Amino acid sequence: MPREGKGEAVTLRTDHVAGGAFVAFGLLVFALSGDLPFGTVSEPGAGMLPKLAAGLMMLFAVLIIIGARASEPFATINWGDGGHAALVVVITFVAVWFYQWLGFLLTMSLLVFALLALIERRNLLRAAAYSIVVTLFAYWLFGKALKSPLEHGLLWF
Amino acid sequence: METTFDSLLLGFSVALRPDVLWYAFLGCLVGTLVGILPGIGPLAGISILLPLTFGLDATKAIVMLAGIYYGSQYGGSTTSILLRIPGEAASVMTCIDGNAMARKGRAGAALCIAAVGSWIAGTFGVVVLTFVAPPLATFALRFGPPEYTALLVLGLIFLAYMSTSSLVRTLLMAALGLLLGTIGIDVMTGHFRYSFNIPELGDGIGIVPVAVGLFGLGEILATPSHQVTGEVAPPRLRELWPNREEWRQSAMPIARGSVLGFLIGIIPGSAHIISSFMSYALEKRISKHPEEFGKGAVAGVAGPESANNAASTGAFVPMLALGIPTGPVTAVLIAALLVHGVPPGPTLVNDHPNVFWGFVASMYVGNLMLLALNLPLVGVFVTILRIPYAYLYPLIVMFCVIGVYEVNHSIVDVWIMLIMGVVGYGLKKFGFDPAPLVLGLVIAPLFEMSLRQSLIMSDGTWMIFLQRPISLVLLAASAGLLMLSAVSAVLRRRDWRAKLAQAEAGEQP
Repeated sequence: MPREGKGEAVTLRTDHVAGGAFVAFGLLVFALSGDLPFGTVSEPGAGMLPKLAAGLMMLFAVLIIIGARASEPFATINWGDGGHAALVVVITFVAVWFYQWLGFLLTMSLLVFALLALIERRNLLRAAAYSIVVTLFAYWLFGKALKSPLEHGLLWF
Repeated sequence: METTFDSLLLGFSVALRPDVLWYAFLGCLVGTLVGILPGIGPLAGISILLPLTFGLDATKAIVMLAGIYYGSQYGGSTTSILLRIPGEAASVMTCIDGNAMARKGRAGAALCIAAVGSWIAGTFGVVVLTFVAPPLATFALRFGPPEYTALLVLGLIFLAYMSTSSLVRTLLMAALGLLLGTIGIDVMTGHFRYSFNIPELGDGIGIVPVAVGLFGLGEILATPSHQVTGEVAPPRLRELWPNREEWRQSAMPIARGSVLGFLIGIIPGSAHIISSFMSYALEKRISKHPEEFGKGAVAGVAGPESANNAASTGAFVPMLALGIPTGPVTAVLIAALLVHGVPPGPTLVNDHPNVFWGFVASMYVGNLMLLALNLPLVGVFVTILRIPYAYLYPLIVMFCVIGVYEVNHSIVDVWIMLIMGVVGYGLKKFGFDPAPLVLGLVIAPLFEMSLRQSLIMSDGTWMIFLQRPISLVLLAASAGLLMLSAVSAVLRRRDWRAKLAQAEAGEQP
């Protein structure tokens, strides 16, 4: 691990970023807790535990920042899986957005198809067949076998 | 003793009912599959399948969900031995010598030793649980709010101490979990906290969306399909039986792993993971041939596999007797019991004897089922491993969405799951373990209630925690653990936790 002596530029490390993010989140929590009374020790209020927890979180985050020199440089984090992660999140986001409108069968088969076709670049016909079969299986399992009410949406079944 | 046997008979009369047997079998089967498939651990499996139990009574629900938990411990060994990929985290240690045995042509023997060791350890764990949980529950009836507060503090400190990441990181995650657990209406004053006018947040954030997001979706986000590869050849049935020497070499490691695993299982933390590492380290240390470890030592399979099964049973002791989760899996199981109107804790044995003893008895039966499932059907399970991950994970994403939505029929829960998936991905990148977050989230309501009740009882003095003997002892134990951690940090000692972190990262300790 290279040492950062006097005069050398400080390397941004993973723990600097993580600790900073948690401190910022803690500050946000305090900003949002204005109307929550902390109360007194004999009569604790609704804001006591949230503020204690946020305070502790910020304290530990500061300790992490102080000891950040032992962590890896931020630039070394491997984001190679970032594209895959972003695509999965976006496709799932769209599916969840339309779920109650399109209903279970349409949304879920489109979700599985999109993941297979857009991310995995699988044969479109095979991806379509697979997504329909697994969605029908899940529909039977949840909707019929377990009698769990599924979203009907456009199709009404 | 006589009462225990009578109660156990009552339990068997419940557990041997055909309908309960069926759900125990289903749980064991699904658990084995969950254990076998990389990328989906017992926590995500149980969380996703929780809604399937809503139509069942409490006994069948808990029998099935617990079957998934201990079934996954059995199943994890198959992937570890045949592919050198841990099907779930507790099987990390089995990868080393199990796969080395497979490369020597002894895959069948390794699978058999893992299954038999798991069965012996699981059954041993249930026997001890049978006799330990009821008296512990009776003792816990003496607990008031200060004792519960101190016990929960000890639980969090223990979790942080046992964690492979640093104490500070673990406590930070637990604090974040506690913070998230305060979202919703404050039951003592009626204040809305951080609900942003979203009615669904009035009831707080559920454990299922958080657990599925962090452990299910988060894992998928971090695992592109091109990273999951592996050719696998199933062993033939006649190759499954170990030879006499292999049996001899596995006997004592199984016995030691069972005892060690159960003891570690009772302690908060990811006990089943830690226990397998501790068992591996113990076997290597006392072996006359430590140089064989890493090259296919039988004890390197028998010990850790027994230990992780005993630990998963041991974790049920505080859950059933005290109503306190020792890890995220038991936290979800507690949530499942609460959904069915059965609060776990000291009163469970007396108020719901059918559930308690039926559950205990079903574990005896479940362990036998798993032995019968895992050996003859290993070829079938291996076939499942051949399904390309590219086809598997879209299915898991779909089950994550349905599983979370079906709990409350709330789209807000699904949004929370999606956000938690991204958070889980981020935490992984920055080296944070999300398990303490889930534990903090689960204990937050109980912790807040008992802390505030204690302070009101004492008329505003924190000394109440030191004036009552049980809470004093529990807090002294917490302080002791913090001091031990501080000493380790100051001396920069490379202890077993550092070695476990190294093993989890895929390097041999």
